Amino acid sequence: MSRGRLIETTLLILAGVLLAIATVNDVVEQTHVNHRLIADLHTWRVYTGHDYKNVSTEQDLYGHTTRDVVCGNTTPGPPKERIQLCLQMTGPVIDGRRAARGGWYLPPKSEDEPAARYGCFGSATPARYCGKDAASATENPEAGTSPETSPEAGQ
Amino acid sequence: MDSVVGSSGGVAGDGAVSPPVAGRPRLGESAVERWARALIVLCALVLLAATLEIVIDAAVGHSPLIPKQPQIAGWLSGVGVRLGYRTFLIALLAFTGAYAVMLGLVGRISKRWAIVLIGALQLIVFVGPILISTDVFSYIAYARMGVEHAINPYTHGPIAIKHDAVYQYVGHDWKHVATAYGPLYTLLSYPLAPLGLKGAVWGMKLMALLASAGTLALTWRCAKIREIDPVAAVFAVGANPLWVIYGLGGAHNDLIMTLLMMAAVSFAFAGRDIPAGASVVAGALVKATAAALLPFMVLYRRGLGPILGALAALALGALIGYAVFGIHGIDVVAALNRDAAFVSTDSFPTELAHLVGKPGVFPIDHDLLKGALVLIVGYLMWRTWRGYDWVAASGWTLLAISVTSTWLLPWYTLWGLPLAVIARDRRLFAATLVIQGLFIAHQISPLLVPVA
Repeated sequence: MSRGRLIETTLLILAGVLLAIATVNDVVEQTHVNHRLIADLHTWRVYTGHDYKNVSTEQDLYGHTTRDVVCGNTTPGPPKERIQLCLQMTGPVIDGRRAARGGWYLPPKSEDEPAARYGCFGSATPARYCGKDAASATENPEAGTSPETSPEAGQ
Repeated sequence: MDSVVGSSGGVAGDGAVSPPVAGRPRLGESAVERWARALIVLCALVLLAATLEIVIDAAVGHSPLIPKQPQIAGWLSGVGVRLGYRTFLIALLAFTGAYAVMLGLVGRISKRWAIVLIGALQLIVFVGPILISTDVFSYIAYARMGVEHAINPYTHGPIAIKHDAVYQYVGHDWKHVATAYGPLYTLLSYPLAPLGLKGAVWGMKLMALLASAGTLALTWRCAKIREIDPVAAVFAVGANPLWVIYGLGGAHNDLIMTLLMMAAVSFAFAGRDIPAGASVVAGALVKATAAALLPFMVLYRRGLGPILGALAALALGALIGYAVFGIHGIDVVAALNRDAAFVSTDSFPTELAHLVGKPGVFPIDHDLLKGALVLIVGYLMWRTWRGYDWVAASGWTLLAISVTSTWLLPWYTLWGLPLAVIARDRRLFAATLVIQGLFIAHQISPLLVPVA
C-alpha cells in the first residue's frame, strides 16, 4: 500500500469512527429522552386520572435541562379543544414516573404561551410562568426548537 | 430450475469474469457449500418477508411512518396491522442483516436467482402504498400546478392550489415551498398531472420502478466492462435496504437522477464523450447533485467531448426551462442554497453537534461544512488529474455531499451507490455501506425504550 493510500485509509477510518461515536451518542441520548418522555406521559395520566391519548410534551431544548412540560385536556375532547392542564416534570424516572413540581392551565384552543397561561401552581411561579408579565419577561422559557428550521420530511 | 449457488468462479455465461468461489463443484459439494446455499435461501426469504411485512402493514393506512395518501393498495389492507416503529425497525434491521450476509456470499448466487430476487423485492414495493415520505405528493402537486392550474411551480408552493385534491397530502413543511427540482424532471412529471391523483401516484411509482430497473441494467453493463462481477454489483444496489424501502418505496426522483448518472458513466466507458457529458447535465436537470460527476469526467477524459456535450445539453435545458418556467426555472443555485440551510435530525453534522454538547448546527457550521466539502472535492480533482479512477472520485464526492449536508435523508445515501459498486477503489463501497449502516443505526432508538 502506498504512503498516500495509507494516509487516506487512516483518515477514512478515523472519520468513520468519529461518525460512529456521534451516531451511538445520539441514539443513547435519544433513548434516554424517549424513556423520559414516556415517563412524563405516564405521570400526567396518573396525576390527572385521565387516560387520554392526545397528551403533548415539550422539552427544554434551549435551557438544556430535563424539565419537560406535558399538556392535555381536562375533559374529553379533541386535542387542545378543552381547558388544558400543563404539568412541569422534573427529576429522574422512578418506577416509570417523574415528579410533577408545578403547572398551569390553558384556555381551549390555546398554545402553551406565557400570555395564555393561568392558575400557575407549585414551582411554576406566576411571575415567571403565567400571564402577561411572564410573557414580557421572557419568551417562552420552557419550550424550544432546534436552532434552525427542521422540516419534517422530504425533498 | 436454476441453482441458487452459482458455478465456482471463472467466466460467467455472459462472458463476464466472476470471482472465484471456494469449494468444490456441485456434485461433490462440501458441507460449507451446503451451508452457504441454505444461508442464501434463508436470507432471501428474510428479505422477501421483511419487505412483505412493511408493505402489507403500510397498506392498512396512515401511521407515523406512512403518509396520508389516496387508497392505492386497498386490496392489501385487510391483512396487516397499522405500521408502527417497532415492526418497521425490526423488519428494516432483518432486511439489512440478510442483505449484509448475502453480500458476503454473493459470489455463490447465480445470475438468474439474483435477478429474480431483486425483481421480486422491487415489485412487492411497487404494488404497495407510498412509504415513509410525502415527497411524491409534492412532485404531483408541482405537476398539477403547471398543467391543471397554469401556475409556475418555480415561483409558488403547493399552497397556491390548496383546493386541489393533492394538496392535503403534501408534507406540512413543503406547502409554501416552490420546487427545487430541475426543469427536466418537472417536465417529465407533467404528463402525469391529467391522470388524476391515483393515476399520477401510479405514474410516479412506475417512473421510479423503471428508473431503478434502468439503473440496475446500466450498473450491470458498467460492471461487465470493468470486469467486476455484475451479479454482485447489481445485487449490492438492487437489494440494498435503503434503495428498496426508502428510494423505491417513496418513489423518489433520486432514482431518475441515478439512472442518468449511470447512463453518463456507461457512455463514458464506451468512449462516447459527448453523450456522456450531456447525460450528466440531464441528471443535473433532474436534481442538481448529479453535476458532481462532470469535473471528474472532464479531468479524466482530458478532451473537449464531455464539455461540448454538457454545454449543448445545458443550453438546450436552459432554453426549454426558460421558455416554460421563466428565469426561476433555471435558477438552480437559489434552490440549492435554500435547501442547504435546512437541518434534519438524521444528518451527521447534527449528530456531531450533539456530541460536542451543542443543541444543533449553527450558521457558522454551514460555512465550515461547505469549506470541508470544497477541500475534499479539490483533493479528489487533483487525484483524478493524477490518474485516480474518476468514477470513484465522483462517488466519493456524492458521499461527501451527503455526509456534510445538514439535511440528510435516507435516499441521499443512494446517490453514490451505483458508482461505488463499479469503482476501482473498493474503499468507496465499504464507506458507502458504513454511512448507510450508521443511518439505519440512528433510527433504532424507538426499539430501545420499554413499550409504553
